[in-house]
Amino acid sequence: MKDFKLYFYIYSHKIFFWLFFLFFSFQFIFGLSTENIRINYNIVPPAPSKQFLLVASLGDKEFLFRIMATNLQNFGDIFAGFKSYKQYDYNRLYDWMSSLDHLNNKSRLIPSVASYLFSQTQNKEDLYKILKYLDEHSSADIDHNWWWLSQAVFIAKKDLNDLDTALYFANKLAQNNSPDAPLWTKQMPAFISEKIGDGCMAFKIIKTLIDESESGKRVIKAEEMNFMRHFINERLSKLKNQKFDPNKC
Amino acid sequence: MKSILKYIIKNGLKDKLFVGLFIAILISFGISIFLGSTMLVEQNQSSLVFILATVRTILSFGIILFVCINVTRSFDNKEIEFILSKSISRENFILGYLFGFFISAFLILLPFTLLTLLIFKIDYFGLLAWFATTTIEVLIVICFALLSSLILKNSFSAIFSSMCFYILSRLMGMFVMAINIPEEFSFNETNHALGLALKILSLVFPRLDLFSQSSWALYGIGENNFLYIIFIQSAIYLPLMIFMAFHDFKKKQF
Repeated sequence: MKDFKLYFYIYSHKIFFWLFFLFFSFQFIFGLSTENIRINYNIVPPAPSKQFLLVASLGDKEFLFRIMATNLQNFGDIFAGFKSYKQYDYNRLYDWMSSLDHLNNKSRLIPSVASYLFSQTQNKEDLYKILKYLDEHSSADIDHNWWWLSQAVFIAKKDLNDLDTALYFANKLAQNNSPDAPLWTKQMPAFISEKIGDGCMAFKIIKTLIDESESGKRVIKAEEMNFMRHFINERLSKLKNQKFDPNKC
Repeated sequence: MKSILKYIIKNGLKDKLFVGLFIAILISFGISIFLGSTMLVEQNQSSLVFILATVRTILSFGIILFVCINVTRSFDNKEIEFILSKSISRENFILGYLFGFFISAFLILLPFTLLTLLIFKIDYFGLLAWFATTTIEVLIVICFALLSSLILKNSFSAIFSSMCFYILSRLMGMFVMAINIPEEFSFNETNHALGLALKILSLVFPRLDLFSQSSWALYGIGENNFLYIIFIQSAIYLPLMIFMAFHDFKKKQF
C-alpha cells in the first residue's frame, strides 16, 4: 500500500496526463460519431401564438414586431445557402404574417415581404395564401392600404392569370378614398373587366368616372380625361363590331 | 446629500459603470443600425425601434447590477456605517443614494436619446414621452434594486430579485389579460386559483409594460395613450418603495 502511494506521488502527473489524453481521444472519437446528427432545420417554423407574442414582447410590442419581421424576412437563409420559395410552407407563412399583424398593422414591412419576396414562389397555388393575407391586411383600412390591394391585383392577374380574383381585388381597390391614391386605382376594375371580356362593365366604370368629373364630384386631370375618352372610343369601336349597345349597360 | 451624490457618481466612474454602459449601448446602437439596414423596407424605423428597446433594456439591467453591487459592497466595507456616523439622517442617506443612482442613469440615457434625435426622423412628442417614461421606469427599477439591496444585503439575491421584479412588471399586461379565465376552463378549481394568484400579483406589481413604448417614436402617442396611467402609477409606486426603504433602514442596527 505504501509503495503504491509513493508510486502515485511520484508519477501522478504522468498518470493524469495519460488520463487526460485518453479522455481527449474519447471525445475525439465521440465527436466523429456525432457529426451526422444535424439540427432538424425548419425553413418556416410554426408561427407563435398570440399569447406567446404578448409574453415575449415584455410590453414593447413594436420591438418584438421588428425582431420577428427580421426573422420572417430571413426564413430560408441558412448556413448552407438559400432555400427555394417552393420549399416553404406557405400555410405557416400566412400564420406568421397574420400573427405579426396583431403586433403592428400600420407598418409596411409585412405586406412588402409578402408582395415583393414571398410572391416570387414557383408554386403558384401558394400565391393564394399571399393574396389571402393581403386581403385581410388591406381590408382593415383600405384608404391606408390601397397599394397592397394593387399588388394583389398584379399578383392575381400576372402571376396567377386568375382574372376573377384580380377583379375581386380591383373592386376593393376602387373603394379607396385616399387623397394619395392615383386615378388608376378607380379605373382598375374597368381594365380587368375589359380583360375578362366584360366590355359593358369596363364601359360603365369609365363612364361613371367621366360623369363624376363633369358633375364636379371628382377632379380629374385633363390628360386622364383624354385617356378615358380614348379608352371609351376605342372600346366602343371594337364593341360596335360585336353589335354592342352601350345603352343596355 | 450633495456629498453622497458625488460619492455615488464617483463610484460609478470607479466601477466603470459609465464606460461599460456607454460601450454596451454603443455596440447595441451599431448592431441595431446594421440589423435595421438589412430590412426590405422601413430600415430607419426598424433601426430606431431596435435602438430604443435595447437602450432601455441595457440601462435597466446595468443599473440593477450597479445599485445592488454598490450597496452590498458598501455594507461589507462598512462604508454605510462610516457615512451614517456623520451628521446625516437615514432618510437623507436613502434619498441621496436614490438621487445619485438616478443621476447616473440619467447621464447615460440623455446623450443617447439626443443622438437618436439627431440621426433619425422621429415623432418628437413620441420620443419625449418615451424618454420621460423610460426615465421613470429606470427610477422605479433603481428604487426596487436599492430596497432589495438594503433588505437582502446579499448581492446575488438582490440582483436576482430585482431582475425578477423588472421582468414580472413588464409581463403584467399579459397577467392582467390572463386573469379572466375563459368559460371552457372555469370548471377547474386550479384554474380559478391561478387566476386569483395572477390577480394578487397584478395588484402589487407596477404596470411597467405600459411604459416606454418604442412605437411612440414612430407613430406618435396615438389615441390609446396611457401616459396619465403611467404618471399615476409612478406617483403611487415610487413613494411606496421609498417609505418601505425608510422603514427598513430606520430599524436596522449597525
